[in-house]
Order: sequence, then C-alpha cells, then structure tokens
Amino acid sequence: MSGRRSGAGEASRWLLAHVAVERRRLGLAVAAGVLTTLATLGQLALLARFISVLLVEQAPLGRLAPLVLGMLALLVVRSLAQFAQERLGLAASLALRRRVRGELLDHLARLGPAGLAGHHSGSLASQLVEQVEALDGYVARYRPQRVLAVIQPLLVLAMAAWLDWLAALFLLLSAPLIPLFMALVGMGAERLNREQFEAVSRLSGHFIDRVRAVSTLQLFGRTREATADVHAAADDYRRRSLRTLRVAFLSSAVLEFFASVAIAVVAIYVGFGLLGYITFGPSPALTLFSGLLVLLLAPEFFQPLRVLSQHYHDRAAALGAADGLVVLLAENAEDLRGSGAERAGPACAAGELVRLEAATVSYPERGRVLGPLDLALMPGEVVAVTAPSGGGKSTLLQLLAGFLGPGQGRRRTAPGLRVAWMDQRPLLVQGSLADNLHLAAPEADRDAMTRALERAGLGTLLSRLPRGLDTPLGERGGGLSGGQAQRLALARVFLSPAPLVLLDEPTASLDAETEADIIDRLGGLAREGRCLVIATHHPALMALANRRLRLDPRGEPLP
Amino acid sequence: MNDPVQRSRGLWGELAPWLSLLARRRGRLAGGVGLMALTLVSAIGLLALSGWFITATGLTGILLAAGVSARLGIYLPGGGIRAFAVTRTVARYLERLYNHDTVLRLLADLRGRLFGVIAGLDAHTLRARRASDWLNRLTADIDTLDSLFLRLLAPAGVALLAIIGLAGFLALWAPVAGLAVGGLLLAGWGWLVVGQACLGMAVSRRQVGLREALRGRVVEQLQGMAELEAYGALEHHRRGIEALEAELYRDQRRLGTWVALGNAAVTLLVGATALTALWLAASAWQAGLLSGPLVVMMPLAVLAMNEALVGLPAAFTWLGATRGAAQRLNGLREGVRQDAPAAQDRAAAPGAAAPGALAVRLENVSLHYPQAPMAALDGLSLRLAAGERLALAGASGAGKSSVAGLLLRQLAPGRGEILLGGIALADWPEASLRRRVAALTQHIDLLDDSLAANLRLARPEAEEDALWAALAWVELADWARALPGGLATRVGEGGRRLSGGQARRLALARLHLLDPDLVLLDEPFAGLDAATVAKLRPRLDAWLKGRSTLFLVHQLDGGNFDPPGIDYRLTLVEGRLGGYT
Repeated sequence: MSGRRSGAGEASRWLLAHVAVERRRLGLAVAAGVLTTLATLGQLALLARFISVLLVEQAPLGRLAPLVLGMLALLVVRSLAQFAQERLGLAASLALRRRVRGELLDHLARLGPAGLAGHHSGSLASQLVEQVEALDGYVARYRPQRVLAVIQPLLVLAMAAWLDWLAALFLLLSAPLIPLFMALVGMGAERLNREQFEAVSRLSGHFIDRVRAVSTLQLFGRTREATADVHAAADDYRRRSLRTLRVAFLSSAVLEFFASVAIAVVAIYVGFGLLGYITFGPSPALTLFSGLLVLLLAPEFFQPLRVLSQHYHDRAAALGAADGLVVLLAENAEDLRGSGAERAGPACAAGELVRLEAATVSYPERGRVLGPLDLALMPGEVVAVTAPSGGGKSTLLQLLAGFLGPGQGRRRTAPGLRVAWMDQRPLLVQGSLADNLHLAAPEADRDAMTRALERAGLGTLLSRLPRGLDTPLGERGGGLSGGQAQRLALARVFLSPAPLVLLDEPTASLDAETEADIIDRLGGLAREGRCLVIATHHPALMALANRRLRLDPRGEPLP
Repeated sequence: MNDPVQRSRGLWGELAPWLSLLARRRGRLAGGVGLMALTLVSAIGLLALSGWFITATGLTGILLAAGVSARLGIYLPGGGIRAFAVTRTVARYLERLYNHDTVLRLLADLRGRLFGVIAGLDAHTLRARRASDWLNRLTADIDTLDSLFLRLLAPAGVALLAIIGLAGFLALWAPVAGLAVGGLLLAGWGWLVVGQACLGMAVSRRQVGLREALRGRVVEQLQGMAELEAYGALEHHRRGIEALEAELYRDQRRLGTWVALGNAAVTLLVGATALTALWLAASAWQAGLLSGPLVVMMPLAVLAMNEALVGLPAAFTWLGATRGAAQRLNGLREGVRQDAPAAQDRAAAPGAAAPGALAVRLENVSLHYPQAPMAALDGLSLRLAAGERLALAGASGAGKSSVAGLLLRQLAPGRGEILLGGIALADWPEASLRRRVAALTQHIDLLDDSLAANLRLARPEAEEDALWAALAWVELADWARALPGGLATRVGEGGRRLSGGQARRLALARLHLLDPDLVLLDEPFAGLDAATVAKLRPRLDAWLKGRSTLFLVHQLDGGNFDPPGIDYRLTLVEGRLGGYT
C-alpha cells in the first residue's frame, strides 16, 4: 500500500473524467429523458382538453377520437423514450466499467509481481470485480437523472406558468427549497447508506467470525449457544440501526410531504378559483382545462427529484469505490521497473544470459535493499543465493526476471531472453492439467506435456487419472496436494524452453521426502544446460549449486 | 460454482424453506403490506379526489357564471384532499420504518437458521470453505434472500390488491369501466411478475456464478503474476478475464434491456388503461349514467397506479438471482453430518465408557473425500492404550488432520471401525464426547470477543479464578493483568490482536479448563519461543498424566520443541502407516 490516502475530491475527479468519456451516450440519455417529459406534458394537456371538450362543450365522442389517438401516440413516444434513456445509461455504464477494469488490469500488470507484493490478492480482486461493478448505478442512472432533475421541473414549471402564474408560483415557492431538499435528501441518503452499510458489515463480521470458528465451536459442543448468539447479535443491530433510520427517513419524508401538499394546495386553489371565490391575479381566468392541467402538472414537478433521491445511494456507493481505486492507481509503476529506456538497454556479451553491473534496488519506504551488485549468469550454472530473511534474495530474483528495474547500475540481458519462474506458491489456473501446462509453453504438444509431468514426478498420478491431461483441476487447484501442486509448477519449468530458471524457496512448504525428490529433479534441469538461480537457505539445495552468492542483511554481496 | 452437483428442485422447491421462515412472521408482514397499501391508497385518493374536486368546482362555476343557482359542498372534499396528503406522507414514513424493522428481523432469523445448518457441516466441508470468498458469498446470498419480502413478495402483493380494489371501486359507478380496468391491469400484472421473471430467470441466475468466475480468474492473475509474466502468459490469461467479463456484460445487457422493456410496458399499460377508463367513463357520462367529476376521477385514479407497478420489472427480472442464492444456501444442507443431529438427541448409550483416560482403536479405517483423486486414509489401523501418548508424524496432506477429524467425529469414516474407551465412536452421546475429548487444532479459532469469552467456550460456568489459573498455566496471566481491560480485553477478528504464539497459548489454556480424558495436540509448541516452551513443556507433561494423548507433528527431531513424554511414534505417508518406532 502506498499509504497515501487521496481526498474525496480526487476520487470524484477521476470518476468524472471517466464519465466525460461517455458524455455522448449520457447526453442522449438526458435528451431521451427530456423527450419523455415533453411527451408526458403533451399527453396531460390532451387529457385535460378531452375532459374540457367532453364536459364543457359537451361534444360527441366522435369529435374526441383524434384526442385519444394523439394521447396514444404520445404514450408510445413516451415509453420508447423511457426505454431509450435506460438503454443508453446501461450502455454507458457497461462501457465505462469495462474501461475502468481494463485500466486497473493494465496498471497492475505494470506494477508487476514486485509491486503487488504488499497487497492482499483477495482485496485487490474485490476492487477489480465488486468495486468496479459498484460504479453501475451512478453512471447508468444517477448521472442522467442529476441533469434531468433540473430540466424536467423547469419544463413543467414553464407550462404551469403559461396556464396560471399564481399556481406556478406555488410550485416555484418550493423551487428555492429544491437545493435544500436535495441537500437534505442527499445527507439523509448518505447517512442512511453509511449507517446501514456499517450496521450490515458489523453484523456480517460477527456472523463470519462465528462461521470461521464453527469447527472449534463444534469441538466444545457450543454450537447451539453460538446460534442463539448470532440471532441475538442481529437483533441488537436491528434495534440500534432503527434509531438512526428514524431520523434518516425523515429527510425523504420532507420531500414526500411537499409533493403531497403541493398537489393539495394546487387542487384547493384551483377549485376555489373555478368557483369564483378568488378574484385577484389570474384566478378568474381559470377554466376547467387550465385548472385540471395545472393539477396534473403538480406531481410531475416533484417526480424527477423523487427519482433522484432514489438513486442517491448509487452515488455514495460509487464514490466509496472510486476512493479505493484512485489510491491503487496512484501507485507508481515507473519507480519500480525503471524507465523503458533502461529496460531496453544494450544486450550483454554473447554466451551470457544476464549481466548486472553495479545494480541496486531501493524502495521508497525501506531504502536500498539490494546491491550494488555485479553478476553474470552463464548457461549451465546453478547459483544458490542466500541471505538472512528480508535480505534481498527475492528482490534479486525479481531484478533478474525484470519485475524490478535497477535503481542505479545496469541490467543487461541476452536478446529475447526467456525466463522460467517457480516459487513456493505455485499458480494453478482453473482448467485442465493441460491448460495449466500450456501457460509455460503454448505450443507444446501432448507428448511433451506428458514427458514434463513424468520428469516432475507426476507420472504415476497422470497414469491413474482416467481423463489424463484433460482432468480438470478444481477451484484453486482443489484435489492436488501441496507437493503435487509444486510438482506441477516444476513440470512447467521442464516444459518451458527458457534458459534461465529462477527459483524462490521452491521447496519451503514441502515435507522432507518430496523436498528431496524435487531437489533431485532440479539437478536434472541443470544437467540439460539451463541456468538455475535458487534463493534458499536449505542445505540440500545449496549443495546443488556450483556457485554461491551470499548477501548481507543490507543486500550487499559478501565475499 | 463450488457445488457442481446440485439438483434443481424448481423455483418453489428452492424458495419453500425460506418462505416458510418468512411465514413465521406473518403478522408483521401483513402489517407492512397494510402500510404499503395505505400509502398507495392515499396517493391514488389524493390525485383522484383532486381531479374530482376541480371538475366539480369547474362545472359548478360555469353554472354560477350562467346565473344558475348551484351548490357544492367544498369542505368534505377539501378535507379529504388534505387528509390524503398527510396520510400519504405519514404512511410512507411509517411503512419504510416498519418494513426496515421487519427486514432486519428477517435477517436475524435467516442468519440464525443458516448458522444452525453450518454448525452441522463436517470438517472437510468446513476446511474447504474457510476461504473468505466463500464467506463473503455466503453473506451476500443471505442479503439477497433477505430482499425476498420487501422487493418481491410485498410489492407484487400490494399491486395485486390495489388492482382488485381499484377495479371494484370503479365498478361501483361504472361496472364496465371497472371490469376493463381490472382486466387490463391484471393481465399487465401477470406479465410484469410472471413474464418478466421467466424472461430473466436463467440469465439472472447465473450472474453470481459468472461474477465468481471472473473473480477467480482475477485472483489467478494477481497471485500468479510472477509465473505469468515470466512465461509471457499475462496477455493470454488476461484474454480469459476479458472473455468472462464480456459474457457477464452480455448477460447484464440482456437483463437491463428486459428491465427497460418492462418499465416501458408499465408506462404503456397504465397509460392505455387510463385512456380506456376515460373512454368508457365518457360513454357512460353521455348515456347519463355517470357525473362529470366521476369521469375525471377514473383515469386519474388509474394513472396513480403507476406507483404500484413501477418497481416490479426490475425486481422480477432479477428473480433468478434470489433463486440462485436460495439454491446455494439449500446446497449447504447437503453437507450436514449425517450423524450430527441424531447424536445430539441420543441418550446415554448402553455401557457408557468408564471414567478416566480413554483408549483409542482404529480398525482398517478408510476415508475418501468426494472429488479427491486419491483416498486420504487407506486401511489405517492404530491403537492407543488408556493413558499413553502416541505421536503421529507426517507431511502436510499425509492424513494427520483426517485422523483427528475422525476421532473428533467431525468426519465420518468411509469404511472401518473407530472405538473410544471400548465403545463405538458413533454411539457416543454428543455432550459427553465433547466433554471428554479435546483438541488443540493446527489452526487456532478465536472469537472476536473478550479473553474471558474465548476461555469460557471450554467451560461456560468457569469462575474468574479458574480463568486466571488457566492463563497462569500458559504464562499469559502477567500479560493479561497488564492489559487495561484485563479479561474483558477483546482479541480482535480471528484473534488478530494477539500474536500467533499468544493465540496458541490461549487455546492451550482453553484445553486446560476443559479437563478432558483424551487430548489431541497438533504441533502444540508451534510458533512459541524457546523460553516459553521450556516453561510449558514440563507443565504439559504433568497435566497429560492420566489422560490419553495423540500428538500430531510434522516431524520429530528430538529437540526441545518435541512434545513431552512420547510413548510411541508412528509415521503417516499418503494415508498409510509407515510403522511404529
């Protein structure tokens, strides 16, 4: 973790920059929203006209048919526009999420294995999947609605004012209150969201805690008590969160209240005006048509705000997610890898695989962890690297592999150098045995794969599997023991044509027998002329080496 | 994706256990539905009555202007309008509060019920599911099911009631209009609920699975980045991620489109029904069957129905997600230990084991985990006489924890016989088994609770003095006394605020409180420093006298970290015995 925490401002700037890319789709979504309102206004006007013609002019139904057809046409327009608005928002959201995930994956690839070392892969994965998905509602719904919540009431107001300025004034009187509503609703929704989220995550935490310990609870015969405890905790959180909900729901009740009261006030004003009880202003000019239409407009005036308040929690969720993503994206990959120019430095002398010249590696927080170091690696060499823990062994391997760039000095490689890698936590991808082997050599055929498995000591297992190379490995390599997984990683090394093999504590988590066997097989790798660099403190592995490199706690080579 | 073999039981079969859980709170659910209905009635009433009132005043005004004497009671409708405006707000507020209360109560029920299920799972299932992904998905599934009432059942039910109520109300004045409105809206309701659900079922059901798969691929990319980058396979693997993402988004696009279509259908349905009501009311008016204000009231009442229908398409298009969550949670029950519930109820078996140290016998025991390529234990036989100490050595995966799981009855053997104190393990009453057999497991589980609560897991009735004595026995008393909170100090999530060594010693203290007759100790001194081991080793040695002990160790090297007083050693290799020494 970089430790730096970006402000909320940075997160929302980053989010807005991504939203700006989608401005065409979102602009069209807003246009569709405006069209919806125009169709609605037209529809309501025709409805009021219908009633007025029917009841006041007492026209026959035949004369009213065109009005009905007009309303039907506008209804269709309105539904289509509504559909278009939703689809456009969705398309924008999908494109944006895909782009953000791509940006994150690119960034993580640039950071590389060295840059990811300080991260927990589970929480990174949740950022890449769940947090990116959390941007959905904000882009698809909140952004367009935020604009529409201003435009749509204004359109309604304009029409109301044209009909009766006093009634429009009632609506307008609440207009200066709209920003206040929004703030109220926003604060309420945000607070509600936060409180709810906290309560739920506390509750989930308690539940997960008990589930994790369930085996121990079984051993002590306490599962019944724990079940009661889980229920009691949930009930306790319920009582506590209700206290905050009581207040939080008030803000949306205020909006609801104004919307209801506005309808009531307009209805009573129009009614009294039509009866002729109000003699000032535009009231005497009210007709059944204009009065009815003003009434129908009143709920439409508040509807966009109500919709916005429903989407407000999308905004809070997106900003929360963006906060974490911005911090992750702020980590600088260039610091670690060195600039591109250095990476493409001059090739080393013929016959050599890699040459380090006074190379050092430093981290901003920890200072220099390796070097200055001179090292040349030739084919067929086996180099054991030893150091006290934290003494730069892994850093050296990462430098040789190119996961890190030298801070000072130079790293030169043979042109087109390929590297094989094995550490104590082998990668198992979901798929078949063959898929797992293909990683190392996409062009390898089945014979080569079988041979590699045999050389890694998995021949017996393979012969016992009815589906052979096509046997699927379960999630995270389920079904393979730790030793078998490590042998699979070794088979990948055998299969790969890479002349330089980097091994980071390759046998650390194995039992003695498997360890001895794997060390034996690594010797076979050296005999076929590959160069092995092994970071280890294990005597048997060191015995395999024909060269030893000892590093002191500061990462400097010892004679 | 974790449970590949799941039989489908149909939508109702899958939701039935959860619906029956909801039914236990039917009084509250009815109250919540009632408040929702009141809110809706107020909204419909407000608009309909306002329309009626304006039309009535408009028509009366025309008569007055023409010099005809006409009267209109304005106080009753005026009061009604104000009353509806207030009840709409108040009912909505109360409804939200009340229903959130209900939802949180349901959440407590759900979690309690599920925890009961999880408590019956066997050790293998639990170990495989310790991963935090699984736990996260579990809680997400609970939250999804939690919305069954508030997002699905209640709105659909209220909408149905409202349609019937509105149709009946309109039919009082214009039976044809009432019938037409009822018919149209009911047909629409059927589409919005059943149609949208069928449309989205398969696709929304696989959303969680796809998201999990995507997550799995991303974790691979991150954890295996060194290998992927070294072998130049990053791009290839990334394409796999992108393919999954494309699949996920193709489905989301479909679902989103169907929801949008459903929402557009609501607009069309309500609009078209209002027009029908208007036309029929107008005909009735011309036939002299209906007053003018009622003509206006009818379409307006229908228009207000929008509020009842607007949430249905999104909720029901995604019904498959709820179904998937229910299905996964139902799947949990299939892993429940067959013997567990029975064991709880079993009365003291005939010939309960004699008090004192327990002898152990395993006869030709085999254990094969589902979907594992090889047996975890293969025809294992071993004996431990009462009061003796046996050390079982072996690499990880050799079968040590399977032996422990069997003896602790957290696993059931596929074949063979296990005797404890001369009595078949399966016949032991649960309570006395848990009192007389104890284990220090490799992975220490501590609750996110106080030191005292963690110790009292072993003996809930233990006095403070006993707790302090147990802490003193593992050299933690001085440390605990120095803590400001003392025994009330919380240990943090999974015991995170303790060091690994402290956690292990706390677990040992827990065993000490229990006073068992058979003890299983998995690497008792792992993670402890030499000075502490030097103090604890003789104490453990003394405490183990008079109890049977099984040590599980990685390897023995004859040093100070070896467990004390071993009578026999045995080595396990891939589920078989290497031999006594």
